Amino acid sequence: MSPEELPPPEDEEDKRLMALVASGDDDALRLLVHRHHVRLVGYLRSEVGSQTTAEELAMEVFIRLHRAAGRWRPEAKLTTYLIHIAHNLVLNEWRRRGRKPTTALDSAPEPGDLSHDSARRVNELDEAFRQAVALLPAEQRTAILLLVQQEMPYEEIAAVMEAPVSSVKTWIHRARTRLRELLKDHYDPA
Amino acid sequence: MNQPMRQPSGHDFDQDLARALVSGRDVPCPGFTERAVRAIGVDRRRRTLLRWGSGVTTAAACFLAVFVLQGRGDDSLAQRADALAASDESRQLSDILGFADELSLLTPAIDPHSVVEALINPEL
Repeated sequence: MSPEELPPPEDEEDKRLMALVASGDDDALRLLVHRHHVRLVGYLRSEVGSQTTAEELAMEVFIRLHRAAGRWRPEAKLTTYLIHIAHNLVLNEWRRRGRKPTTALDSAPEPGDLSHDSARRVNELDEAFRQAVALLPAEQRTAILLLVQQEMPYEEIAAVMEAPVSSVKTWIHRARTRLRELLKDHYDPA
Repeated sequence: MNQPMRQPSGHDFDQDLARALVSGRDVPCPGFTERAVRAIGVDRRRRTLLRWGSGVTTAAACFLAVFVLQGRGDDSLAQRADALAASDESRQLSDILGFADELSLLTPAIDPHSVVEALINPEL
């Protein structure tokens, strides 16, 4: 396969699609939503603890992205931009509710095979982790989700959260410490 | 996803944290793309309507402003013209009548037009 035939990197493809969306191409819009919605809803669901709310917020993220398409400059990755919009909507959602969500998440996606004990134990541990993450203070939860779940570097997390990198590192350190405390029963030597 | 990695380590905290969070990263949402595209279409039409509405409102406000300003200009001009005419007329009449009062010939005259005629007609 010649270099000309190689598919464009994801970022380049996102830029190309955004340019088409800005010119009113609905097919490009559909493709862009299709490429990013699964991960976006996953992040929002981890933040707000509800599948329905996560989908509503993800819808609003794409509406705002479409409104901004003409003004968008590809200085940052589109995924970072989407998560940035999503994070602001999460903050608005917490303000609207008057508190941050501390309830457990909706039931998690089913693993492949529940018949084995190991799969059941994995499920239980995963659920314990997700519940513990939901109990973290807002900044710590967002920072740990973006680092571990979304695999973002510190600089991008700082950009999304509009905070210094040093603050991001502090939040992540505190989040790990707090999670170890909350989950110590799973790790105590028997 | 990553099924081969889905083993409880029981001792590696970071590995378990990563597995737990990554397992909730990609959440399938059947029909989401079409619903999102529809919602964006509705938002686009609503914004178009708002833009048109805003344009029409602005144009109407401009017309109203021009109309009001023009009306106010006419009023003030008319008032000034009326005042000027009234003052000029009274002064003119007063002068004419005053001058006429000194002429015994015109003493009984009341109608200003007859006074003027009397003044410009040398035969009277």
